[in-house]
Amino acid sequence: MDRKTAAESNVKAPERALGDEADRVRGRLPRGRRRTRGRLRSLVIPFLAIVTALIIGALVIVFTDETVYAAFGDGVGRGVARASSVITRAYGAFFSGALGNPVRIITALFSGQGTQIRRAIYPLTETIRISTPYIFAGLAVALGFQGGLFNIGAEGQYFVAGLVTVFVGYAVTGLPGIIHLPLALLAGAVGGGIWGAIPGLLKAKTGAHEVINTIMMNYIAFRLAEFMLDANGPMARGDGRPVSPEIQPSAYLPQFFPNQIEIRVNTGFLLALAVAVLVWWLLYKTTLGYEIRTVGANPRAARYAGMSVARTVVITMALSGALAGLSASTDILGVLHFMPNAFSSGYGFDAIALALLGKSHPFGVVLASLLFGALRAGAQNMQGIAQVPVDLTSIVQGLIIVFIAAPEIIRKLYRLRQPVASDELVTVRGWGGA
Amino acid sequence: MRKRVSIGLVAILLASLVLNACGGGAASGYKVGMVTDMGGVDDKSFNASGWKGIEDAIKELGIEGSYLESQQQTDYATNITQYVNQGTNLIITVGYMLADDTANFAKANPDINFAIVDFAYDPPIDNVRALTFATDQASFLAGYAAAAATKTGKVACFGGINIPSVSIFMVGYEAGVKYYNAQHGTDVQVLGWSTAANNGVFVGNFESTDDGRRTGEEFLAEGADVIMAVAGPVGQGTAEAVQVAGNAWFIGVDQDWTLTAPKYTDVILTSVLKNIDVAVFDTIKLASAKDFAGFGGESYVGTLANDGVGLADVADGAIPSEIVDELEDVRKGIIDGTIDSGWETYLSGL
Amino acid sequence: MPPVLQLRGITKRFPGVLANDHIDLELEEGQVLALLGENGAGKSTLMNILYGLYHPDEGEIYIRGEKVSIHGPSDAIRLGIGMVHQHFMLVPVLTVTENVMLGMESIRNGMVLDRTKASKRIREISDQYGLEVDPEATVEDLPVGIQQRVEIIKLLYRNADILILDEPTAVLTPQEVTGLIRVVRSLVAQGKSVVFISHKLKEVLELSDRIVVLRRGRSVGSTTPEESDERSLASMMVGRDVILEVPKGPAHPGDVVLDVQDLVVKGDQEKVAVSGISFQVRGGEIVGAAGVQGNGQTELVEAITGLRPVESGRVMIGGHDVTNASPRAITEFGTAHVPEDRQRDGLVLSYSVAHNVILNTYYVPPFARGPLMQETAVARQADQLIAQFDVRTPSPQTPVANLSGGNQQKVIVARELSRPVQLTLASQPTRGLDVGSIEYIHAQLVKKRDEGAAVLVVSAELDEVMALADRILVMYEGRIMGTLDATEATRERLGLLMAGVATA
Repeated sequence: MDRKTAAESNVKAPERALGDEADRVRGRLPRGRRRTRGRLRSLVIPFLAIVTALIIGALVIVFTDETVYAAFGDGVGRGVARASSVITRAYGAFFSGALGNPVRIITALFSGQGTQIRRAIYPLTETIRISTPYIFAGLAVALGFQGGLFNIGAEGQYFVAGLVTVFVGYAVTGLPGIIHLPLALLAGAVGGGIWGAIPGLLKAKTGAHEVINTIMMNYIAFRLAEFMLDANGPMARGDGRPVSPEIQPSAYLPQFFPNQIEIRVNTGFLLALAVAVLVWWLLYKTTLGYEIRTVGANPRAARYAGMSVARTVVITMALSGALAGLSASTDILGVLHFMPNAFSSGYGFDAIALALLGKSHPFGVVLASLLFGALRAGAQNMQGIAQVPVDLTSIVQGLIIVFIAAPEIIRKLYRLRQPVASDELVTVRGWGGA
Repeated sequence: MRKRVSIGLVAILLASLVLNACGGGAASGYKVGMVTDMGGVDDKSFNASGWKGIEDAIKELGIEGSYLESQQQTDYATNITQYVNQGTNLIITVGYMLADDTANFAKANPDINFAIVDFAYDPPIDNVRALTFATDQASFLAGYAAAAATKTGKVACFGGINIPSVSIFMVGYEAGVKYYNAQHGTDVQVLGWSTAANNGVFVGNFESTDDGRRTGEEFLAEGADVIMAVAGPVGQGTAEAVQVAGNAWFIGVDQDWTLTAPKYTDVILTSVLKNIDVAVFDTIKLASAKDFAGFGGESYVGTLANDGVGLADVADGAIPSEIVDELEDVRKGIIDGTIDSGWETYLSGL
Repeated sequence: MPPVLQLRGITKRFPGVLANDHIDLELEEGQVLALLGENGAGKSTLMNILYGLYHPDEGEIYIRGEKVSIHGPSDAIRLGIGMVHQHFMLVPVLTVTENVMLGMESIRNGMVLDRTKASKRIREISDQYGLEVDPEATVEDLPVGIQQRVEIIKLLYRNADILILDEPTAVLTPQEVTGLIRVVRSLVAQGKSVVFISHKLKEVLELSDRIVVLRRGRSVGSTTPEESDERSLASMMVGRDVILEVPKGPAHPGDVVLDVQDLVVKGDQEKVAVSGISFQVRGGEIVGAAGVQGNGQTELVEAITGLRPVESGRVMIGGHDVTNASPRAITEFGTAHVPEDRQRDGLVLSYSVAHNVILNTYYVPPFARGPLMQETAVARQADQLIAQFDVRTPSPQTPVANLSGGNQQKVIVARELSRPVQLTLASQPTRGLDVGSIEYIHAQLVKKRDEGAAVLVVSAELDEVMALADRILVMYEGRIMGTLDATEATRERLGLLMAGVATA
């Protein structure tokens, strides 16, 4: 037989030999359907992780409620009834605090009264407002993961960007908003970017591990902020408090409800969505994104392919820092309008969770951020209505991350099938991978 | 079995989605809400103390009270909004970090009364009562007692963050030590604060007990045997260090540490009491009265005279009994103005 | 007496693929059974079923005539079945004894590990089968061949009498292969039975008593070494006639393309790995670099391609000095490089085939326009190369991680040899590949030569170097021991040079 024909017939044969061993190869659905199914399947674990975490959260609520114990003292039936009413009340408040009460929203819409409508949709606006800085911070860490870098420094980058943003916000006067606002945003991105690029540079030039250096840069940033915003510090407002002056109104991110001080959702959210699309475009549509992902997936192959691993590492860290910086900028320009000394409580660290939950995909990060925003908005409401401490969110968030990081638990719990090897996302290379 | 339990729980969850628990609390009565700062209600410091004032008011005045904890700067407005939407009559915000949000909401809601702990507006806002404390008066007494108790001739203090509500303790403390020196011809030194230099030791936060322990160990190593920590829970680390070292004393602030941190009782010399609960109670009583016509921008200053600040009992045998008597005289002197507890002088010298 | 091991009608389906299709197999006591087949033929699946890692959809397993069902490696071990995997499962920092004891530590006085007893037993086993393993040696200090014997000792220590060796020679030098064959002979002589998985025809013929050939999940024949030869086995394996010799005409060397002068390169441990090498490769010739692995070949190729700094000396490509130039600059001078470790250096496993075929040309038109990737052009290129280089993949979008080793290598070869180049460097281009793929890749390299490119092939396989090269240089401890014309090279002469014995 002619060799060439043999080869061709092999290519066309329906049963092509595949895979190192056949077990690597999975279903043969049409490509489009297979992809959709794969995407859906990849959502199963996060979904179950959230549900399971909420269930455990409910148990925590029940087990820490004294009235439940008292009711159990009167009999099992009473106890169960009390427990379920406690959970109903707490989670009712939780969901209505995160998403609003649908009945109330509809009634309000029909009533046509501004105040009623605003109060009804308020929970939703809180969820969106809280998720805005989360999106930026999550994108920062996710981009790092894509480039094989573990940016634990988002928190520090956030602080530095906050300082730079707020400075541009209050010290620069007389500019129209169309210039002042972008300038303040840019300042934050550049500040965070530089703060991120330094550990990147250290890694590229000396091989120093970015995890160590970003942590150290965090401490420097915290102390820097403490110094600048000390009651007598160079950036203090001068009323004896460790806070910066208020920024100029020309640097405000436009509000959706400008005259309502309680509704603080602002155009920062639109910016966050736009930046998420931009990050996606960068990662998957540009040569730079290809370089970042290649360095992340296999730095040796990247070097072999002629890419400059060092340059890519620095760029990735700078971009990651810039994204983390924008989370501070939007909080200051859109919500706070000043910077206090004790500024953030852990956006940068929550961001790691967000990137994991979003599988380091920009759109996944957006979804994860909305979830975390909802969790926090809901928790705040649950505290007010059901007296459940806000710390419950931390527990639920923590559990979600544990279940995402160790999907085996969820698979065992719900008896799910083992995934295909390539479904698993490898986020970062191990320690010491210079 | 396990499956059935989870199904049951999911059902409860779903039920909770459908049945919506609407606004909490009974319909009638005077409603007071407190918004904590990031320290949370069980900070064993001023949030806890403020909440105690509300609890007292619930018992004695029959009002309805609740609190909301904040985890981030951006939570303050969220929590105040909740209280505004719930129709709360008096909203108490704890700490200077809430000053901007409190002012904004107070101006937007003139029919709701507010009180803020540890901050005064200039100019005052009509419907906000500023609750401030002349803690220098009480810490002056603590400094006097410390100077009497020291065997090494060195006493120390440190703060959390350099803000007026913290440094006021240290100013009074140093003044008290100096007064003792003048009275007794001694030369007890103060480490950690100098009014003349307008500078002192600050750990930079109100959270890290580690920082507290380290700072305490440093002072002990420098020879101090009385340490006052003006840094909320950070002081627990310091008390720990003092207890481990033995032969030294710790001075707590805000609340009586023999009650809030009893395991350190054996090393607690005394506590500088900043009776936020008294101020909060006083405010609730004032505002919930039938004939209340508004704060009108009036503020509250806690002093030794109105029991807004005070000194807890000094540990038995730590100082001679004649010093205990002297402390009472000093107290009277401060109240009638013959003794300068230091803060006003310090401010005017800035 | 019933056979030690008997498989009847073993069938294993994976979604979309029939990995094992009613396979029957018999192993007699004291026999070596070779399981021969290309990568992806179903050998490993079958053995994983036997070892309890997979459960068959159909079929039965009999051990000494008794029907058994195996649910995991512990069942397999209990039944006396042991397996040496291609990748050793050893803890490098522990001693041989400690490694062998792992998982079944014998304990003295309730607490203390009884190392002495275990060590004594290992020495006995080692002596009994002529394994020559020191129980006290640390595993990381041992050569690969001895590490493999530690794996075998682990099985014998657990009283296994059916030993499965999965591609045992893939990692060994020719000398170590000889040693392994001796060990296997000694094992069967003392009553053990061995299943030997391989796709190397010579070894199979030399070692086995019976040969079963698998192709695409089916058993396509059972034979003995006496009844068969390399050619017949190869055609059974591949399903068609196979050309074992590389068909090539005489070389027509042209101008010098690669000129290496007094090259000194350091290895990973700051030790000099290449110490003053000089040689030339001309256009239109294939030069083969032979040598036992670890004698500086890796470092030499990496230095030429810019991946490793040159300490001293000079590298010229096409008359340009490229000493210490960047990898990209060297690529752009017209150099193709098939790297030694395809998964570590040559591919991004999580990427699709399409994204791998543009790994070093992604930034130039038509694959990029400015900073933008042109996915249509990338897809077109992928389709074309998949067809041209016969890469077997479900689609250009399949991650290369899901391809067989041979097809992964074809992706690299397609990428590197489809470009117009003047120099081609190929390191271990066929390691671990099946006959069909080897044949194909060899033909591609010869084609590159005939188009006028200079080709340098580095290989630890003597057969490969002898079949491919027009000239052969032999490396030993970072030096060139000698350069032979292909016509005057014999196994013996090359073997001596590789051992550093004589200068030819």
